Amino acid sequence: MSKTLLEIKNLHASIGGKEILKGVNLTINEGEVHAIMGPNGAGKSTLSAVLTGNPAYEVTSGEVYLKEQNLLEMEPEVRARAGVFLSFQYPVEIPGVSMTNFMRAALNAKREYEGKEPISPKEFLTLMREKKKLLELPDKLNNRSVNEGFSGGEKKKNEIFQMAMLEPCLSILDETDSGLDIDALRIVAEGVNRLKTPQNASIVITHYQRLLDYIVPDFVHVLADGKIVRTGDKTLALELEEKGYEGLNL
Amino acid sequence: MVNDQIVNIKSGETFERVFLNEPSVNLRIIQEAGSHVKIHVLNMPSKQAEGSNLQTISNKIFITQTGENCSTEIYALAYLHNDESVTTETHVAHAVGGGTSNQLLKFILADHARGHFIGDLKIEQDAQKTEAHQTNRNLLLSEDAEMRTQPQLEIYADDVKATHGASTGQLDESALFYMQQRGIDKQKARQLLVNAFMKDVLNTISDETLREKLINSLDSDL
Ligand SMILES: Nc1ncnc2c1ncn2[C@@H]1O[C@H](COP(=O)(O)OP(=O)(O)OP(=O)(O)O)[C@@H](O)[C@H]1O
Ligand SMILES: [Mg+2]
Repeated sequence: MSKTLLEIKNLHASIGGKEILKGVNLTINEGEVHAIMGPNGAGKSTLSAVLTGNPAYEVTSGEVYLKEQNLLEMEPEVRARAGVFLSFQYPVEIPGVSMTNFMRAALNAKREYEGKEPISPKEFLTLMREKKKLLELPDKLNNRSVNEGFSGGEKKKNEIFQMAMLEPCLSILDETDSGLDIDALRIVAEGVNRLKTPQNASIVITHYQRLLDYIVPDFVHVLADGKIVRTGDKTLALELEEKGYEGLNL
Repeated sequence: MVNDQIVNIKSGETFERVFLNEPSVNLRIIQEAGSHVKIHVLNMPSKQAEGSNLQTISNKIFITQTGENCSTEIYALAYLHNDESVTTETHVAHAVGGGTSNQLLKFILADHARGHFIGDLKIEQDAQKTEAHQTNRNLLLSEDAEMRTQPQLEIYADDVKATHGASTGQLDESALFYMQQRGIDKQKARQLLVNAFMKDVLNTISDETLREKLINSLDSDL
């Protein structure tokens, strides 16, 4: 039996006084890939925001545990250090903060949390080079400001690059496939697959079956109107592709 | 010392000064034809002089272009904490044509700090083909900090390019959250954004040694 990594119990959350998540239940074990699909506005990004502690959202009830720790009581940065990673649907541009400074700060924060020494400059550069290669990102990335002026596809690749650097135990990929050309999709998906271990797990939010051809899910969930209304195996995604949400008779 | 004096910059000469943490700058410059002036006024007192009783900073810069084809650059950066306050006045006058002036002034105000910018830009009737830009950007790091901006443009020539812009805002919450999501604590994330905000002023310093020293001192705080 594999161990439970994440447990979401009856989660309700709202933004601006409007209830978006209306009782989400989900258990994720180590080594699993869970796809979440669902109509626009269903609350998929809200779920990722709430799991990562985005202060714009209010959790009104429910519980979330990461490796038996109460996730909802942890600061966003502590959740990240504990291994929760979000590949943002809309990655943020941070002018004036170089990828190098940003990545080093992130990596060392995690190492400190794990009781490790800060990474040496040489090791850091080697690691950056290695992970950039995995995503086929250019060398000049280091000196550029975080996401500033990156194309849509480059931003998504940069998210997975950061995931590769930080090696999270739970990664949430929020529409990482949108905006990627065919080659980039393959590179990103291969990157994600290579980062997979028996100990970590991913939540893959997507609208398209196409990504799931590469990143094969163990479970597919349909989130509609703030609730998981259907769970199945990978064939559910195919069924959805064929019939649409209306054809599901939810 | 050039402070508190009237300085004449002769034709074709270049005058550059960086005023670092002076309690007061009072500069009056007359530019002759084809001269270049580049001034930096940097006020980051609480970083350099912890516990100093330097509370009220006053900067006054008067520059008049009296000959053609002059260039003037003014950069100001103030990063204040506690009850510190700064008033920075720039008075740039283009008396004759073909000149340029560029001003970039940034104020970062934490705690109860107060900032006041008075930007007086005058383009006389004879100063055709002048190009003048004035930009004032401010960051308020607390609800108790306060910034006042008073740009004043007087333009009497018709064939000129003149722009001015002023904005006051807070740190970008979505950028802060993005950094926190990568494990960077909020305090450090804030400092990274503040440093980024300051860097483009510091990057305009010509003296490489001083420039690197100031920029490195920002990063070393992290
Ligand atoms: N600040 C806000 N105030 C009120 N409603 C909001 C706010 N932000 C988001 N919402 C609403 O929350 C709902 C859920 O949004 P969310 O981004 O979670 O959807 P999603 O499932 O990720 O959709 P998509 O597939 O389009 O990315 C939407 O109806 C959206 O309009
Ligand atoms: Mg979304």
